[in-house]
Amino acid sequence: MLSVQNLTKVYPNGTQALKEVSFDVQDGEFLVVIGLSGSGKSTLLRCINRLIDPTSGKIFWDDLDITAASPSELRHIRRHIGMVFQQFNLVKRSSVMTNVLSGRLGYANPWLSLLGIWPAEEKQRAIHALERVGIADKAQSRADALSGGQQQRVGIARALMQEPKIILADEPVASLDPVLSHSILQYLEQLNKDGMTVICSLHFLDLVHRYATRVIALKDGIKVFEGLPKEIDRAKFKEIYGEDAQEVRATSLEAPA
Amino acid sequence: MNDKAVRRSPVLAGGLSLIPGLGQMYAGQRYRGGAILIATLLIAGVVVWYGRPGWSFAPIGIYLWNIWDAFSLARGRARSAFLPLLLGLVVAYGIGWQMIGIDLSAASGERAMAILRPMLRPDLFERRYELNRMWTPITVPCPTGDAPPAPPASRQDGEKRAFAMPDCAGVLETVIVSVSGMWPNAETEIWWETNIGDDKPLGGNENAPLIVETDETGSLTTTIRVPSTVLIAQPDPTLALTHRIYFDQRELTSGFQLSRNGRFVVQGMVESITMALMATFLSALLAIPISFLAARNLMSSSPITIVVYVIVRTILNITRSIEALIIAIVFVVITGLGPFAGLMALVVHSVAALAKLYSEVIEGIDPGPIEAIRATGARWTQIVRYGVIPQIVPPFTAFTIYRWDINVRMSTIVGFVGGGGIGFYLVQWIQINQMGAVGAAFLAIAVVVVTLDYFSAKLRERLV
Repeated sequence: MLSVQNLTKVYPNGTQALKEVSFDVQDGEFLVVIGLSGSGKSTLLRCINRLIDPTSGKIFWDDLDITAASPSELRHIRRHIGMVFQQFNLVKRSSVMTNVLSGRLGYANPWLSLLGIWPAEEKQRAIHALERVGIADKAQSRADALSGGQQQRVGIARALMQEPKIILADEPVASLDPVLSHSILQYLEQLNKDGMTVICSLHFLDLVHRYATRVIALKDGIKVFEGLPKEIDRAKFKEIYGEDAQEVRATSLEAPA
Repeated sequence: MNDKAVRRSPVLAGGLSLIPGLGQMYAGQRYRGGAILIATLLIAGVVVWYGRPGWSFAPIGIYLWNIWDAFSLARGRARSAFLPLLLGLVVAYGIGWQMIGIDLSAASGERAMAILRPMLRPDLFERRYELNRMWTPITVPCPTGDAPPAPPASRQDGEKRAFAMPDCAGVLETVIVSVSGMWPNAETEIWWETNIGDDKPLGGNENAPLIVETDETGSLTTTIRVPSTVLIAQPDPTLALTHRIYFDQRELTSGFQLSRNGRFVVQGMVESITMALMATFLSALLAIPISFLAARNLMSSSPITIVVYVIVRTILNITRSIEALIIAIVFVVITGLGPFAGLMALVVHSVAALAKLYSEVIEGIDPGPIEAIRATGARWTQIVRYGVIPQIVPPFTAFTIYRWDINVRMSTIVGFVGGGGIGFYLVQWIQINQMGAVGAAFLAIAVVVVTLDYFSAKLRERLV
């Protein structure tokens, strides 16, 4: 169980990104975080693996205090938390294979990995991860030769290399064609069914309804809603996104079953 | 234009414009008035400063136009500025033409052809030949006082025997030279080598080869005059030293070989390319650490680093603005003539240029992959290896190759000021009017630069 307690983040320039946010995530949940751009979703996700250090508040993973972890403890914690990004964040000039293998750096021998030497079993693991997202044939391509949807699948394969217990997904489909959204989210849903906890920020309400097991909503860094997806009706929606907001659907096509 | 407010008295406006622009200001167009004032003063100033009263018609014309313009403007109608602009340009170009002394008659087609024709026959290769050579020593000048007398000016080499008479001579004195045992009935070039290895032709007015034919027994005897310049590099011209007189016979055989100047061209080009390669390598090594100090994104964290950033950037900008040729002049003074001076000049200029290009690469790094690799639990060394290096090495390499390209071109000219390489030979050939060798050097430079250009472009294409 992941427990976020009174999490607050103030950036050096004075921006208050999170205010006293608290919630729990049970193992195996598909938690979706919604809110406008700038509401603190990305900051919240990055606080969980401490890519951003929170100003105050605690994050416990079972009994482990993530916020108090030393640098080497933190690396061990990060190994088990995969992350998927809106902009994919692949090294564009490197091959798909190298990008996927870099997900394993937390486990790898530091010296051999600096020389770029990987044991055969790790390469096998990378191929297997690429097979799971259906692009094993692209292993030797340069990352920037792939389409957006394929790059995001490489991003997922990289996260899989960590054998993660939690996957943080920061708007994983916001840079993709709406029609590709379901394809990417279905991979995350599959991983969730395989036992990984998924914490994912999303924009489109229909995707939230389709994939989330639970939802929290942020507005100006404050948690304004926590509950089941079906509880978000039009009134709640307006409350979260403001009076001017219009609901947009990711796709008018029904997601393939 | 606000034409309601500018209706003023046309006569007054015209009168005010006796001081250029004042009438326009009065009529409500301050900028137009100001521009007219400045332009009139400037053009009148140019005419007066350079003392060209013949061009006075232009400022006077602009002045008159200005009064007319103020008058019209007060009546609500601006005049086209075409006439004063035209007059201004005519003055600027007219005086400029006279100052530079453009004289088309000075460009003589005949002289151009006299230079171009030998250049079109580059002195790079010659017919292969067999050389039959003999030489004799000779002492110049004659020993004086109680110094021992000059040794005999004669020499035997197998069948061949050469001698000069007398055994010693002063500058411009006449000497009888003789050689035997050479090829019969063959042209023989006779030339002088000084004690420090300079060659001097003996024919014409000391500027052409002296060629004499051997008789049917392979002997020749002729008179020469000791060249006027044989002691020119001698600190003590009274000191008797041994020089040589050479007798060369050549017989053409099949095929071609590099000519004497051709060998210098090859040597110069090799020197230039090596100089460029070493300069690029050294400057890349130096530029990498400097570029990190000149990258804004790395240096914006604290006031101290910002100061370092500004200082480094300023030094780089100033250094880069000085041409390598000028830096080479400074280094020739410091290190002496030769490729080392040229190398240092190229290094200084290249470090400044490369550090700026590298720092822009670093500034352009995508932080996303770095964040992603950090999130996997990687150590910082691994983050640098997998997140940073793949992003900067290909563009660094591409810029370095590009720089090598530029340095090869620059290394061909730093020799003009004594910095070594092909330019060093080139400038001397130009001065002694050896246009065939100049043509050969041009050809070699063109071939090398174009070839490198092509391959470096291909290589860079693959990297980025």
